[in-house]
Amino acid sequence: MKSSKRRNGFLAVCIAPAVVLFVIFMILPTLNVFRMSLYEKGAYSQTETFVGFKNFQMLINDANFIRSMQNMILLIVVVTIVTFAFALIFAAILTREKIKGQNFFRIVFYIPNILSIVVIAGIFSAIYKPENGMLNSIIGLFRDMTNPILWKGESLVMVSLIIAMVWQAIGYYMVMYMASMSSVPESLYESSNLDGAGRLTQFFQITIPLVWTNIRTTLTFFIISTINMAFLFVKAMTSGGPNGASEVALSYMYGQKDAGLYGYSMAIGVVIFLFSFALSALVNKATDREPLEF
Amino acid sequence: MKKKILCTIMSVSMVASLLAGCGGKDTGTQGSSSDTPTSEAGASADAGADDAGASDDAGADDGATADDPYAAYAGTTISVAAIETAYGSQMWQEVADAFTAETGIAVDLTTDKNLEGVIGPSMQGGEYPDVIHLATGREAALTEQFIKDNMIADITDVLSMTVPGETVAVSDKIAGGFTDTSLTNPYGDGKTYLAPMFYSPCGLFYNAGLLEEKGWEVPTTWDEMWELGDKAKEEDIYLFTYPTTGYFDAFLYALMYSAGGPEFFDKATHYEEGIWETPEAQTCFDIIAKLATYTNPITPAQANDQDFTQNQQLVLDNKAIFMPNGTWIVGEMAEAPREEGFQWGMTALPAVQTGGDSYSYTWFEQAWIPAGAENQDAAKLFVAFLYSDTACEIFAKSGAIQPVLGIADKLEGDNVMFYSIYDNGAKAAMGNFAAFDAIPGVEVRTVFLDPVNSLVSGDMTEEEWIANVISASDQMRANLK
Repeated sequence: MKSSKRRNGFLAVCIAPAVVLFVIFMILPTLNVFRMSLYEKGAYSQTETFVGFKNFQMLINDANFIRSMQNMILLIVVVTIVTFAFALIFAAILTREKIKGQNFFRIVFYIPNILSIVVIAGIFSAIYKPENGMLNSIIGLFRDMTNPILWKGESLVMVSLIIAMVWQAIGYYMVMYMASMSSVPESLYESSNLDGAGRLTQFFQITIPLVWTNIRTTLTFFIISTINMAFLFVKAMTSGGPNGASEVALSYMYGQKDAGLYGYSMAIGVVIFLFSFALSALVNKATDREPLEF
Repeated sequence: MKKKILCTIMSVSMVASLLAGCGGKDTGTQGSSSDTPTSEAGASADAGADDAGASDDAGADDGATADDPYAAYAGTTISVAAIETAYGSQMWQEVADAFTAETGIAVDLTTDKNLEGVIGPSMQGGEYPDVIHLATGREAALTEQFIKDNMIADITDVLSMTVPGETVAVSDKIAGGFTDTSLTNPYGDGKTYLAPMFYSPCGLFYNAGLLEEKGWEVPTTWDEMWELGDKAKEEDIYLFTYPTTGYFDAFLYALMYSAGGPEFFDKATHYEEGIWETPEAQTCFDIIAKLATYTNPITPAQANDQDFTQNQQLVLDNKAIFMPNGTWIVGEMAEAPREEGFQWGMTALPAVQTGGDSYSYTWFEQAWIPAGAENQDAAKLFVAFLYSDTACEIFAKSGAIQPVLGIADKLEGDNVMFYSIYDNGAKAAMGNFAAFDAIPGVEVRTVFLDPVNSLVSGDMTEEEWIANVISASDQMRANLK
């Protein structure tokens, strides 16, 4: 009895530092976001007025906010699906097939992930340049370029963002899938081979089910990281333009803070927080399967 | 038993080291954004206080022996934060040194291209620099926020102060008109809150060599402008481009002046009811909408903070003739490749009809003292010093021209031509949109200027733009300061 009490005391002492820090640096700021969303306040002013849910009511009628949310959802859906598909395929090829220079490809795919977003923005600025840009020069070999394609123009800017984000993210997820794929025992593939299963069947029947837990985890990563990355890409590549066409929820939130609406931007923060939480939970629930073991 | 004691000691030390480690790490990551500046500012403030305390006695002695007007400030350190623009940051260091040499007040200088990011976090924590030099109209809109929240110190008394090291008053040095605009007196109560700094005539910049080569005249009315546009189009040169839509502020102000004169400008910038349905406003909208059809179509795709220099490059490459800009463009594009025979030219906005007035907007930056600053009196001395001959010369060397009388003699190179624009018939346009309490989703830039991108790309019609302006203007009027 006495010893278990001491043991608990010891455990409490051990956990305390982490808990204290977690509360101070994670829980309190988050609660503060929720609290501030009910106030009206300039970013630099020391006075604040309680306005209840007024900020949220205004959000619903703010067309710019709705558009930025739409853009964010578009990015989450498209970037996730495309990156996910490419990363899985590349990972399967690199682990299952004997290709010359496997390590080389692995590194090449991973490099974009090491680059800072600002560097990537610079690279893509050169790629998307209307005149003499890499993409338009290549397309110019096949068609007349008197009216260059405006990759960062109003109609294509979201597509351009998607391409850059996919390019940046593939390597990271590919390496994650490769790690779990390489732990799938070779014997399963050999025996399925004897049963006459082709490569595609093996991929869908063996590889995917066995790395499913990994896929589930990465889906949550996708949602959270796309929301965050979208902000960085938009800030560095387009600053939300032209005329707000590439604004995403987080960059809009940031802009509203600069406009002197701290409380309002915190309300946007709350919406994004709840949205990403709900979406992650939903995806987690929808992908729930009986875990397979090998 | 011994073992147990040993165990306890070891676990305690482990926990302690864990604490130390975590604590260090967490404050470290936080510090990079917010803590460091605060603690630094705190440290320097403390140091300043200590110094002041230590030298109080010395100051008293000095007062007894010498007649030093700055004795009261002995040992004071003021912190000055200045935005680094195309003029560079070296000049600020030189001016700060000159100020210290003159008054004995030490200056802790911060300059950065992204000044808001550097001083912003510590200001949110309540630590303010004593003097901030940061123009309005930037994306982070820090100055505007301080204006909206009434957090800027009244510096009307600086105007009657004597410039340190000289015998004249500040108001006798600043050129006429600069301290009566809505940019310096944002509340319209006759009190000055922001000191006018580095002025630059804004207008349309072009390649004078190209016009000369083709035998084209610089248009003096918009009708001539469209004619030139048609002629240039035949040679595959577009009439117009712009770096980003932000550059349309000076353009729009000058256009409003030339369409309706100062009275219309005043009403429009105060969002008077029905003002956007008047013929004068319609003229402004029509001209910009028509100009959009003459604009190089790749402009909007590059009109962002990352690529705007490529739009400026269009003028250097003879792919567009005119762009709205300021005199800093020469320095900004100094290293850029250009067509043979390229020569900078600058003109005021063409007149709306023959014989009408042409206007050039006078863009200037602002220096101000936060109401929460600690050393306000010393800060005011610094602001006064910014208009001294010494400071003006240092600034002028880097191309930054202070709005003081007689500055014309200190101009060199292209600047002589640029700054003579008002001597050649153009009238000066000054002022800006009146401050209003922040409204979600409604900002001057997003309502008035950004849609130009959509006009050029054809994603928005002139009517839609005007309708948006009218509805936003109603909200701005309701929230006027």
